[in-house]
Amino acid sequence: MRRLIAKRLAAMAVIILVLTAVMFLLQRISPLDPVHAMLGANASRQALTAERHNLGLDRPVIDQYGRYLDGLARGNLGMSYRTRRPVTTDIGTFLPATAELTFYALALALVLAVLLAFGTTLEWPGARLLRLVLLGGSSAPAFLLSIAGILVFYKQLGWLPASGRTSLANPPTGPTGLLTVDGLLTGQPGVTLDACQHLVLPALAIAIGPAVSIGRVLRSSLASNLRADYVRTARAKGLSEGRLLLRHVTRNSVGAALSMTGLQVGLMFAGVLVIEQVFAWPGLGQYVAQSIPVADFPAIAGVTLLLGAGYVVINTTVDILQAVADPRISV
Amino acid sequence: MAVAEAHTTVSAARARRRGRLLPSDAGRAVNWAAACMLLMVTAVALLAPLLAPYNPLAPVSMPLQPPGHGTFLLGTDAIGRDVLSRVLYGWRSSWFAALAVIASGVVIGGFVGVFAGMSGGWLDNLLMRVTDGFLALPAPVIAIAVVAALGASFFHTLLAVAIVWWPFYARIVRGEVRALAARPHMAAARLAGSGRLRLAGRHLLPGTVPAIVITASLDVGNLVLTLAALSFLGLGQPAPAPELGADTARNLQFLLQQWWIPVMPGLAVFLLALIANLAGDGVRDLMGDR
Repeated sequence: MRRLIAKRLAAMAVIILVLTAVMFLLQRISPLDPVHAMLGANASRQALTAERHNLGLDRPVIDQYGRYLDGLARGNLGMSYRTRRPVTTDIGTFLPATAELTFYALALALVLAVLLAFGTTLEWPGARLLRLVLLGGSSAPAFLLSIAGILVFYKQLGWLPASGRTSLANPPTGPTGLLTVDGLLTGQPGVTLDACQHLVLPALAIAIGPAVSIGRVLRSSLASNLRADYVRTARAKGLSEGRLLLRHVTRNSVGAALSMTGLQVGLMFAGVLVIEQVFAWPGLGQYVAQSIPVADFPAIAGVTLLLGAGYVVINTTVDILQAVADPRISV
Repeated sequence: MAVAEAHTTVSAARARRRGRLLPSDAGRAVNWAAACMLLMVTAVALLAPLLAPYNPLAPVSMPLQPPGHGTFLLGTDAIGRDVLSRVLYGWRSSWFAALAVIASGVVIGGFVGVFAGMSGGWLDNLLMRVTDGFLALPAPVIAIAVVAALGASFFHTLLAVAIVWWPFYARIVRGEVRALAARPHMAAARLAGSGRLRLAGRHLLPGTVPAIVITASLDVGNLVLTLAALSFLGLGQPAPAPELGADTARNLQFLLQQWWIPVMPGLAVFLLALIANLAGDGVRDLMGDR
């Protein structure tokens, strides 16, 4: 077990290193000159040379990559061309909103996935309808789901807000930056309630696609486990269906669904970037979307590094968890 | 809720066939129909210039006309362009873009997969570690960074997605090649003195076709959605060009009053992905039947 964990962690480190190399390479092949972007079109030749030297761009490539890694290790992601602030600072500003949205979307996706899986495995009148939902949900673009949600729940019914994280003029700014948590920590349950209302539509729009994918995997492993010999044995010894399903079948079926969850997190990150546009959510998606038109590569690379590393860490954790849950898995 | 339901119904349902929307005899016909829909989608995409009633780029009427008003089936947008015509042209570019990326994935992935599978040893190991590295990263997010580095343009978006898309195919083809290489017909061909090229082209590649076709047809829907999302973020063709994702994003401000302007292109993406997914399932079932 310890060997497996060590191996997984080593692989994780290598992949993250590859990710940094890819980002560094992209910066190198980018036709956009960072020095020009920093100093503007009218900078003098001396200023350009001085800044080039200052940024270390006149050194050998390997040396530059070393400096880049060194900077990363200190949390230095470079300067944004657009905001003129360190990318790390910008990400610190926008991350809590995105982290909160992603977390609730993931939780919602897992709940929906379990409901969909059980709802379609068991024979009941709604099962066929749910299968259609599975098919539709896997084909609907997240931005269509979110604008449909806005039209129904905001415009028609007026139940839920359609933009931003909060409708309060001065929400608490600390200690975590997550409004649902901060509301409780500062003793203002109204803030938490309001934040939850704002979270429902965007989280749902992001969650449906991944929920369908996870639900499908869970459904097929439930179905194949239900046909397994040990289920027949359990039935034969008189185990109740509920106990059989919960204690035996579900436990043996979650492995594949867990892997799928890890993979879907990557798609969710992309979904978050899109959905934040629709709901004017003040997170990393807004930051990236504003950086794209002005070709602010350090900003985009910073967010990509963060999301990519997050994805790799989550999938490594999932792998290790699986091995812990099922000792037969080995690498 | 689910558990209570399980209590009474699981054993009763055990004998029945699960997971199908339709009984199997009707299923085959449906699968064929679904596969044929791919041809229809392609036909619509090809014929978009003939089918579109108006020029997608030019204002042809009063702005903000609702769907069904006059000859504007899907209404007109903020500057009086015909939404249907724009959707048809957007359909065309979305569909061909998805096909182009799939094709590049199949070609590059297929080449790498066959090469790795045939050479074996350290080269195989190296190539598969590279694909593993790619597969361990979130493809859509990396694609955004690649486009940002190259400069936002439609071609760069396709290039970026193609770059992150091929490893999946390489893995599948390589697996097939390894499995095929162990089969007797390969040994026979080798004994008959076939060269490596002939082995690859005549004896390995045809065997990998079913797996590639199934994977690709299940993948088109995903790709349509990914490309639409990137286009939504502004990584597609520049402003006046009709594009489904971008047309939704640019017209979000009209959502509450003139809903059809952002909704119709989004619905077209949904329809395209739905057909692609249905057809993918159909193709898989048909080829799996053999």
